[in-house]
Amino acid sequence: MSETEQQDSANWTVGLRNRIVRTVPPGQWLPDRQPAYVRSWIYVFGVACLASLIFVVGSGALLAIKGAAWWHFSSLGHFINSMHLWSVELFFATMVVHLWGKFFMAAWRGNRALTWMTGAIAFVGSIGTAFTGYLSQSNFDSQWIAGQAKDGLNAVGIGSQFNVLNSGQMLLWHVSLLPLIVGVLVVLHIVLVRRHGVVPPFDAVPDGEVAAK
Amino acid sequence: MPLMQTLSEGTYLNMGVVQISLTNLLIIVLMIVVFVLALVLPFPHSHDETKVAHDVRD
Repeated sequence: MSETEQQDSANWTVGLRNRIVRTVPPGQWLPDRQPAYVRSWIYVFGVACLASLIFVVGSGALLAIKGAAWWHFSSLGHFINSMHLWSVELFFATMVVHLWGKFFMAAWRGNRALTWMTGAIAFVGSIGTAFTGYLSQSNFDSQWIAGQAKDGLNAVGIGSQFNVLNSGQMLLWHVSLLPLIVGVLVVLHIVLVRRHGVVPPFDAVPDGEVAAK
Repeated sequence: MPLMQTLSEGTYLNMGVVQISLTNLLIIVLMIVVFVLALVLPFPHSHDETKVAHDVRD
């Protein structure tokens, strides 16, 4: 190894670049060709889920700028709030269909366990984020839900760690902590999908065996 | 106009210990229908897409 190469190997920027290229080689990030079995509607739901998430984050950012009470007195605020709600509904509906599809494909096959796990944990994290959203409506509905949630969480012994009746705490969880966790998990999930590719069907014959026949 | 509008309590179906609102049941059924349709409906594609990519990583 030359002196220049030794210096490069000790360089953090070069190390990070090499790590990124090793993790997902160029061409796998945004591939324009996919295996024939990807030509199915079932694969659309993962992307539809991602598209919904973009709308969720966008409408949520607008609501964060104008404040949690904006939608109570502004028709535009009401529209943005409704967009936030319905993009969340679509996000969950498409995510559940995506989950069903992947479950029945046993999508954890072929060294894809981490892809499955990051998706499953992102799903659970999304439920928590949605629940704190219901607590952030600043109306009687959110008060009632908080009262019910408080009883449930106390019953399972975790009510001492956080207070769902504290609307400020729950609003912060909803707009910062939980979206950050879900966001990191979604990015990890996409990186792993790009790294390992889409799981082949159960009856898919590897290329080598096709060539042998 | 009343100070607080009363909301409809909705229709609930009771089957032993299971209680579910009709709306939620219809949404679950609709999602299952969408799932089945996604499996059986052919995906549209152009006729010149005859080549198959062989770069699948297992």
